Amino acid sequence: MKTRKNKKTEELLEKLEPKTSDNLLTFKGVGKHYGSIIALRDVDMVVDPGKVTCVLGDNGAGKSTLIKIIAGLHQHDEGEFMLHGSAIKLKSPRVALDAGIAAVYQDLAVVPLMPIWRNFFLGSELTTGVGPFKKLDVQKMKDITKQELSDMGIDLRDVEQPIGQLSGGERQCVAIARAVYFGAKVLILDEPTAALGVKQSGVVLRYILQARDRGLGVIFITHNPHHAYPVGDSFLLLKRGRSIGYYSKSEITVGELTAQMAGGAELAELAHELEQLGGHDEELSEAEAGATPQTTA
Amino acid sequence: MSSITASPSHKKKSATTDERVGKKSTLSILLGRPEIGALVGAVALFIFFAIVAPVFLSPASLATVLYGASTIGIMAVGVSLLMIGGEFDLSTGVAVISSALSASLVSWYFGLNVWVGIVVALLVSMLIGFINGIILIKTKLPSFIVTLASFLMLTGLNLGLTRAIGGSVSSPSIANMEGFQSAKAVFASSVNIGGIEVKVTVFIWLAMVLIASWILLRTKVGNWIFAIGGDEKAARAVGVPVVRTKIGLFMAVGFCGWVLGMHNLFAFDSVQSGEGIGNEFLYIIAAVIGGCLLTGGYGSAIGGAIGAFIFGMANKGIVYAEWNPDWFKFFLGLMLLLATVVNIVVKKRAESSK
Amino acid sequence: MWRKLAVSLVIVPVLGLAACSSSGGRAPEPESNSAAGTVATTDRIKIAVITHAPPGDTFWDIIRKGAEEAAAKDNVELQYLGDPDGGRQSQLIEQAIDQGVDGIAVTLAKPDAMAGALKRASDAGISIVSLNAGEDRFKELGAFAHFGSDEKLAGEAAGEKLKAEGIKKPICVIQDQGHVGLEARCAGVKKVVPGTEVLYVQGTDMTQVESTTTAKLQADKQADAIIGLGAPITMTLLKAKATANSEVAVASFDMNSQLVGEITKGNVLFTVDQQPWLQGYMAVDSLWQNKRGGFTIGGGKATLTGPAIIDKAVAENITSFAEEGVR
Repeated sequence: MKTRKNKKTEELLEKLEPKTSDNLLTFKGVGKHYGSIIALRDVDMVVDPGKVTCVLGDNGAGKSTLIKIIAGLHQHDEGEFMLHGSAIKLKSPRVALDAGIAAVYQDLAVVPLMPIWRNFFLGSELTTGVGPFKKLDVQKMKDITKQELSDMGIDLRDVEQPIGQLSGGERQCVAIARAVYFGAKVLILDEPTAALGVKQSGVVLRYILQARDRGLGVIFITHNPHHAYPVGDSFLLLKRGRSIGYYSKSEITVGELTAQMAGGAELAELAHELEQLGGHDEELSEAEAGATPQTTA
Repeated sequence: MSSITASPSHKKKSATTDERVGKKSTLSILLGRPEIGALVGAVALFIFFAIVAPVFLSPASLATVLYGASTIGIMAVGVSLLMIGGEFDLSTGVAVISSALSASLVSWYFGLNVWVGIVVALLVSMLIGFINGIILIKTKLPSFIVTLASFLMLTGLNLGLTRAIGGSVSSPSIANMEGFQSAKAVFASSVNIGGIEVKVTVFIWLAMVLIASWILLRTKVGNWIFAIGGDEKAARAVGVPVVRTKIGLFMAVGFCGWVLGMHNLFAFDSVQSGEGIGNEFLYIIAAVIGGCLLTGGYGSAIGGAIGAFIFGMANKGIVYAEWNPDWFKFFLGLMLLLATVVNIVVKKRAESSK
Repeated sequence: MWRKLAVSLVIVPVLGLAACSSSGGRAPEPESNSAAGTVATTDRIKIAVITHAPPGDTFWDIIRKGAEEAAAKDNVELQYLGDPDGGRQSQLIEQAIDQGVDGIAVTLAKPDAMAGALKRASDAGISIVSLNAGEDRFKELGAFAHFGSDEKLAGEAAGEKLKAEGIKKPICVIQDQGHVGLEARCAGVKKVVPGTEVLYVQGTDMTQVESTTTAKLQADKQADAIIGLGAPITMTLLKAKATANSEVAVASFDMNSQLVGEITKGNVLFTVDQQPWLQGYMAVDSLWQNKRGGFTIGGGKATLTGPAIIDKAVAENITSFAEEGVR
């Protein structure tokens, strides 16, 4: 493990020794409320190494609350959140990181003005020397950063440039590479493709598969079923804080997924309205396709 | 981007070089550093005063300019670090005097060796920093407000306690107390260099700048400082100890205040309890001229030092040039504005050429 | 074992502190002279002294001492207040009126700001005197007496003394640019010695005072004297003179015990003293006299407490008084 740890997290990790029969990460009836607002209610989910679990839902579905609980920013109020079969409540992002959970946020948790290599090793810097003369091992960190990024297939001009100068897709890659390098067991990606164009989204989806193939359990949060379906092994659909379905890939098609998310009835209504207003043929057929399940890519 | 295969052999491939990129020249690397604008401004100002006032170039004058710069510079080191970490401290000016008064009054009242007072003053300065940090963390108010409050409180304490303990608005003389001479040698003496007396604060200042730069650029803590100033939420999310670092920064500012306070005490013996007010902005100005972003996350300790040097040159240069004293403040402000503008222009050019 | 460690952690610093005691420092409290005269037998009256003193100025300490001594002698309940801001100083007068004081002593650095409040005071039958500043306006504002020294006159007196010593190009150092009194002093000096130049320094930062003065002495080789307008400032000017390896004469205004010492040693030529203790004392005492029998001292004109030139000859005689903090 390349992260710093303190005594408390050492004890935590001891508790989490994997028992072969247990899943990596389990949610059983998990709920969270903020004051009188119920953000999540009775959610079940399982994440295993080498598998991608997609969490789908429109805005306000509770996806970000879910992430915050797993990443240690908030604690759940009901149900059980288990790592390797042991119930747990993560007190801070530091504790979550030490437990092997890495999150890549929409705003990416990178500091725009700082160079790429400093961002890569932020919070887990490598040092040489002893005592008060401990200093950063700058060359090693730069080399590792370059290496890890190129292993993910991105090669940059130089890792000294501020990370803010990279494109959105490149920044996602750095964040994912960071999580993979620091031995994350669970990787959470919060709407990574939301702000990206088609080609960049494709690139990010490929990185997700890379991480999966390295043995991580990936949780992929998105509101776009067309991005989720190609990479996902299981799909959790959230609507207004509750689970409206939890399927494995074999149990559902992308069209059904889309319909479930939007609500089949609503799309049929939309198709009807468009027809009445003299909508264009493509939009019409899309709406109709969404309303009636079909096998489309 | 090269295509990705999942094969394990791919992992061992070394980073391919991008033929689009030429090796970055040393010059363009230099131009990208945050201090570069300030350096250009400093050189320009130096040449300006050298022309306008020939006496400016004499070694004795330079020693005077350096002394004037060092008393701003010592504080600018701490204030720069704090600003890079994303916070302000408006209590710095009076905190210097609080430190000096603590040492003086404690030694005097209890009849102790002056070095005991010095240690007490160090504890007081660190405590002030600690309290500033804690209040900031607990209340989540902007540091501007928190330190403005502590500025007012310290001003009152300086006046009130001095009068209550010493009986007057200035601290009593401690020049004939044990330890004064040795303390004076450490904090307020001069070093003879080639016949010119250079005040010891100049050397203390330069040493502090070097240490601060090393901390910023070559240690973990430095990385954390940049991160917290650049994006506090991001830093927290990856496990950087934000609370500890921020409190540490305020205490570092407190330490700088102690150093300058001790110089003030042993150079002038009696400390006026109303002193110090107004200097806090000069320290911030020095840091900003030196390239520290007001919003945090960018800057350097060397930049703060150059900023202090620019201030010292402008302040003393006007005297050397024997300009009409009524216009002194106007010239000073104009000079500072020009130095800052040069700073920004150079930075923009450096960034666009990348 | 831990107990011993804890005990030693406490004892060692305490012993260390004891070993670190030093000579000098606070002198033990002198025996109070209870046999030294009696307090006046008149009714206890309330007097408020309201100044424009900036916080932390040693000069005003001396005024305060004079006021307090008079109050102790005259059986007066003394309120000593101040604010450099004209508006706020005026509010302090209003508050004193509301509290029903018998007399008000006020400094008139900003006479127009005080006018309204002082009118209310005299309408309410409260006696008013002024001190330190306002010798040309005190009558119209309702004060029956003024105790102070004309700053311009003080400057001229200094100028005369400098002229007598053969000084032709003094530098007058002003520690608070725009301060009317300080500017008046330098103007007075310049009237007598036309070669006078003004140097502005930042009085709230002693290191800046020193470095700026050093720079001036290095730049201006023609200067033959340097004048500080306050005792602590002059002490710093002495340091600057040493740093700049200069031969200039040093003169001063106002006094404290360290300055008196320097005059006795010959490092400072002279200082112009406005005897601030007298200003505070007379302000309170004249109000008591007025209450006692309607007396008004001064004959409608300002009662001057200075300027008094304190040079080496005079300094030796007043050293002990300076140490006491009354000069």
